[in-house]
Amino acid sequence: MITHDIIVVGGGLAGLRAALEAHLRGADVAVISKVHPIRSHSVAAQGGINASLGKDDSWEAHALDTVKGSDYLADQDAVEVMCRDAPGRVLEMEHWGTLFSRTPDGHIAQRPFGGAGFPRTCYAGDRTGHNLLHTLHEQVMRAGVKIYLEWLVTRLVVDKGRCTGLIAMHTPSSKLEVFGAKATVLATGGYGRIYQRSTNAIINRGYGISLAYHAGVPLQDMEFVQFHPTTLLGSNILMTEGARGEGGYLYNKLHERFMSIYAHDMMELAPRDIVARSIQTEIDEGRGFEGGYVHLDITHLGEKKIEERLGGIRQISIDFAGIDPVKEPIPVQPGQHYSMGGVPCDVNGATPLDGLYAAGECACVSVHGANRLGGNSLLETIVFGKRAGEHAAGYVAGIAMPGESPYLDELDREKEAISQLMGEGGENFAVVRDELRSVMQQDVGVFRNRTGLQRAVDTVRMLRERGRNVRVKSSATSFNFELLNAIELKGMLELGQVIAEGALVREESRGAHYRTDFLERDDEQWLKHTLAYYAPVGPRLEYKDVTITQFQPKKREY
Amino acid sequence: MIKFKIRRQDGDRVWHETFSVEETPGMSVLEALFFVQERLDGGLCFRYSCRGAVCGSCAMLINMVPRLACRTQVSDAQSEMTVDAVKWGALARPVAKVGKDEILIEPLPNMKVIRDLVVDMEHFYELLDYIKPWISAGEEVPEGGNLMSPKVEQKIEAYTNCILCATCYGACPVAGRDETYLGPAALAKAWRFYLDPREKEKDKRARLEAVNNQSGVWGCDVVFKCTAICPKKVTPTQGILAQRRQIPKNKIKNIFNRGKKSED
Repeated sequence: MITHDIIVVGGGLAGLRAALEAHLRGADVAVISKVHPIRSHSVAAQGGINASLGKDDSWEAHALDTVKGSDYLADQDAVEVMCRDAPGRVLEMEHWGTLFSRTPDGHIAQRPFGGAGFPRTCYAGDRTGHNLLHTLHEQVMRAGVKIYLEWLVTRLVVDKGRCTGLIAMHTPSSKLEVFGAKATVLATGGYGRIYQRSTNAIINRGYGISLAYHAGVPLQDMEFVQFHPTTLLGSNILMTEGARGEGGYLYNKLHERFMSIYAHDMMELAPRDIVARSIQTEIDEGRGFEGGYVHLDITHLGEKKIEERLGGIRQISIDFAGIDPVKEPIPVQPGQHYSMGGVPCDVNGATPLDGLYAAGECACVSVHGANRLGGNSLLETIVFGKRAGEHAAGYVAGIAMPGESPYLDELDREKEAISQLMGEGGENFAVVRDELRSVMQQDVGVFRNRTGLQRAVDTVRMLRERGRNVRVKSSATSFNFELLNAIELKGMLELGQVIAEGALVREESRGAHYRTDFLERDDEQWLKHTLAYYAPVGPRLEYKDVTITQFQPKKREY
Repeated sequence: MIKFKIRRQDGDRVWHETFSVEETPGMSVLEALFFVQERLDGGLCFRYSCRGAVCGSCAMLINMVPRLACRTQVSDAQSEMTVDAVKWGALARPVAKVGKDEILIEPLPNMKVIRDLVVDMEHFYELLDYIKPWISAGEEVPEGGNLMSPKVEQKIEAYTNCILCATCYGACPVAGRDETYLGPAALAKAWRFYLDPREKEKDKRARLEAVNNQSGVWGCDVVFKCTAICPKKVTPTQGILAQRRQIPKNKIKNIFNRGKKSED
């Protein structure tokens, strides 16, 4: 058994920031991750990170934009914390070496982003995530934090209402090991890959979120799934909102700037839920191009500006679509991008389970409510990563390492579960997975209604049954990806079920959850957070109040 | 159907296996490998994550050229020759097709194979660690942040784009014969921190001293293979030469740079 005061699961921005903070505060902390930290999905974030650094900007203005963007489902006390902490966290990253783009007078450059009343998105070209993640990894190396590379955490150990560690599989050897910890921080990112079209890395399967679900922690607001308006046709790689922030236009096949119909004032820079629905409407009503897409046109920005500020998406367009955005418009369509929901936690990352913290996309504080604004997810990782690390370090200082805990029983249970997965015959994980991705895309997407959601609920229940019959044929003991995929598929199916059932029950339209059979937001009935508790057949749904401080819910117009 | 000839390895056993893959429009080599892994042989292993050429996980040898599998189109690789060019080492660019109708997939060279296409990256990460790749920032964050001119920012940016995929290390002839050689990625990273005005002078000097030897900047063959194959257009060779120019007592050794303008 390996022990640390604190174990952080996941090596993306939130995980590294939590680990660094806990280390700086004297805790014995380690990171465990299924990939090397710099392979984490944070690296793919493009457009930027919000902070009210501008002279005429303020954290209050940032908070108002965030709350309005969230369609009033965000907890306003948490939003206030995020927006107040933002400038400090961003400047700290700069000090540690992040190479931000600069204004002519040498300050961090900021660009306009969707749903924001001020150009407050700090950026590093269109590789902001890459620059932040590499910097944090450098500082974590400098600090000498221990990193367990290529381990898949397969379950949390819970003893008498407290998380006392975890079981993980060492990918190079397929061996299971017990890790004991006074505190565990989940920073495992999102689940994009349960959708057919997603900007997310292939590794984003949401398994970390399902670990908490199995440990008895409810999942919050999972029906709120962000679809990014502009993903590259074919591969669905992200085409940053920064492309529109820098002045890009959206055109349908009639060469109309159709956003004028949907968001007269903000046009292409309306929040993501609105732009995604607008594009999808154009496509559904026959004004998209053959194959289901519209044009994102940045040709008028000129090669110099494109190369300087959008060089990354230019290269991606050339490599993955054979199109140079300097010369031609980019073919784009909406695709799953982000999870507003996740493991519920307070502003210090503490979840309802003692000893368990969460930060980043896997968490739900909730600062994004029903729709996240662009530039707020990178911010969330470093603000709440730091706070979780700080709070966890304080928590572990006063307590002893858990002594007697059912580690060996849990280890035996896990060994048994894995040996049952092995064998000939049965289902192929990829077949079940693809059916899940297809039904989520079809029926739990940008537009939803009762018929489709009921079909999704039924299909996913059936797929969960079939999922029990998945068998792993490869007996490789090193990097057995068939086995890793089969293990994670179980979590994907459970999350699909939580999302679909939550969406079916929520009979209103709010932010990214849009019901064509219930077009209006219904504050009377639904101004509340969903909590989905694990039960063998399907989730048990409960609800809790939203925290409202200074911004009373209003109709959202852009 | 396209044939993929894949080098397999499990312990001491090495073999080549050919798989037929159904090509779809716009298919990348990575997607083709998933087709094999998910439909034909679940045992095949290779690393992956982002599939968008930003995470650096899926570097491998494709038709003898170290490349990211996600960024390489099957249709492009198909029109290249698969040469038996082991004696040349990795190629810096693909060779036009003359014959064989298959795509050759092998693990990245200059690294120990763990299994199939998964190589041991630990040595690569250790070499990077050796140059202390971080800004030794003090505890106090200056009010309003550090200032930096856009010109300096752009100069550094050419080096921060590195994704540590190790294709350069796989292409490097020096790395192939000397495992103490720090390699293109680590040396390019060292130059990135030298250029950064936020780094303290004493730390810059210490890092420069650490690479002032045959395992460092003087070990480079200056054949520009790393620069040619970098998927993010980083130019390690130029960074290595620039560091040589910063080492006064060794200037006389700097034969490769005669007549060139200093980058200072």
